[in-house]
Amino acid sequence: MYNENALDRISREHRWIGVTFFLDLINGLSLTFKYMFSKSVTMQYPDREKWVPYPRHRGHHVLRRDENGENKCVACELCAKICPCNCITVVPYEDENGKRRPLVYDVDMARCLYCGLCEDSCPEEAIALGSVFEYSSYTSEELVVGRDSLLEMDGKTGDPGSVVKARYLPLAQCTVEAQESSGHDWWRFIHRKD
Amino acid sequence: MELMIAVAVIMVKVVLITVILFIVPVPLTWLERKIAGHIQQRMGPMRVGWHGLLQPVADGLKLLTKEDNIPDQSDRVLFKIAPFVALVPPFMVFVAVPFGEDVSILGYETPLYLSDMNVGLLYILAVAGLEIYGVIFGGWASNSKYALLGSLRTCAQLISYEIPMGFAVIGVIMLSQSMNLSDIVDAQEPLWFIIYQPLGFFIFFIAGLAEAQRIPFDLAEAEGDLGAGYHTEYSGMRFSFFMISEYLVMLTISVLCVLLFFGGWHGVLIPLPAPIWLALKVGFFIYLFMWFRFTFPRYRYDQLMSIGWKVLVPLSILNILITGIFIY
Repeated sequence: MYNENALDRISREHRWIGVTFFLDLINGLSLTFKYMFSKSVTMQYPDREKWVPYPRHRGHHVLRRDENGENKCVACELCAKICPCNCITVVPYEDENGKRRPLVYDVDMARCLYCGLCEDSCPEEAIALGSVFEYSSYTSEELVVGRDSLLEMDGKTGDPGSVVKARYLPLAQCTVEAQESSGHDWWRFIHRKD
Repeated sequence: MELMIAVAVIMVKVVLITVILFIVPVPLTWLERKIAGHIQQRMGPMRVGWHGLLQPVADGLKLLTKEDNIPDQSDRVLFKIAPFVALVPPFMVFVAVPFGEDVSILGYETPLYLSDMNVGLLYILAVAGLEIYGVIFGGWASNSKYALLGSLRTCAQLISYEIPMGFAVIGVIMLSQSMNLSDIVDAQEPLWFIIYQPLGFFIFFIAGLAEAQRIPFDLAEAEGDLGAGYHTEYSGMRFSFFMISEYLVMLTISVLCVLLFFGGWHGVLIPLPAPIWLALKVGFFIYLFMWFRFTFPRYRYDQLMSIGWKVLVPLSILNILITGIFIY
């Protein structure tokens, strides 16, 4: 559609005619004019829109619960051992049912490199990397996240790979709140050669 | 009493034109960034005001509050003078530009121009040529190789494109038998000069692009190879003076294109007030300038020179010959 050049249709020895009448320049101008009135692809991220990551996205850690609503983690400490940057701290204890559970499960977000090895090594599929990516903070202490907040985190949410309408919450929260569950496919406005 | 009123009217007009010319670059920068954005499938400024309309105000405030840096080894006097030397000629050009026929405001008949010179066109070409001094001063005084190279390029470019520009205008002068801009516009009432002078308009427009230092002839401030050309070392208010001057030159070229070739304030089909028709046509040309800017790459320096001297000058002489034969 756009790759067809008016000059290509003229044979080589008559090309000077096209150059004299600025066919190449007119071709370029018509291309940019088409782009001028096509939909822009900008995602207005903090203000109006938000990107929902794909399921493969490795964001904020999540501790999953089983069907009874109990923490799946058995505090085997495999994640802490495999972690290349030692950002996971697990302290086990025995709960009232005689099961091994984590007393402490701290993830240092400032050290984590989001490789996902903890997710791969977990035998109970308890730890996972979710799709939350807005958790910046002013101090590195706030980035050490404990067991209870990890249990409350959202996992893979929303309609993956789409752009949803959102609202910016400034100051204290400093996050962008999604306002609809499924949005539009961002790629639909991208021009491609047919 | 008559004299008092006449002087007062002129003063009001001077203030009005000066204020309008200072304000016009503000929406133009916004428009330029918007057009740039949409041509590249972006949105341009969106965050300050509705669709970024207040962005130029924010930019202006930023430029006002920035440090006014003067390089240590520069020629301080010339460095301070240069922005004003560049800024004044575009304002002076608009003394001779008519914006419409006579209008009566509060029962007082007044023409929509400051001065109705009988050599208006010559005056405009001469004064517009003075802008080059600001560029040369700025480039020389900065004591920077980029600024100096930029101003040398500008100098050569402006001088070599002023010749085809002047020659292209001669065809219009021959047709209207006058150098007065109001007379030239009146002569176009039956048919615009673009019909008689397509070649003349073509040469004038290309030379105008070069005079306004717009892409594809913006070698003076080729970002890739010269930093920012002659205003590399400028910052704050002095830089914004150079920018205002550039936008005003673009406006001047657009106004001249409309007045000389596109029937000035004479409308087609829809009856609108004369200044509005003029503004619409000028707006179209400004859009054309910006559209060109975000479509074309810039020419190489030798290509620029050969287009000027080997193509435009012979073509403009040919145009004068053809016009002469037809009139005869």
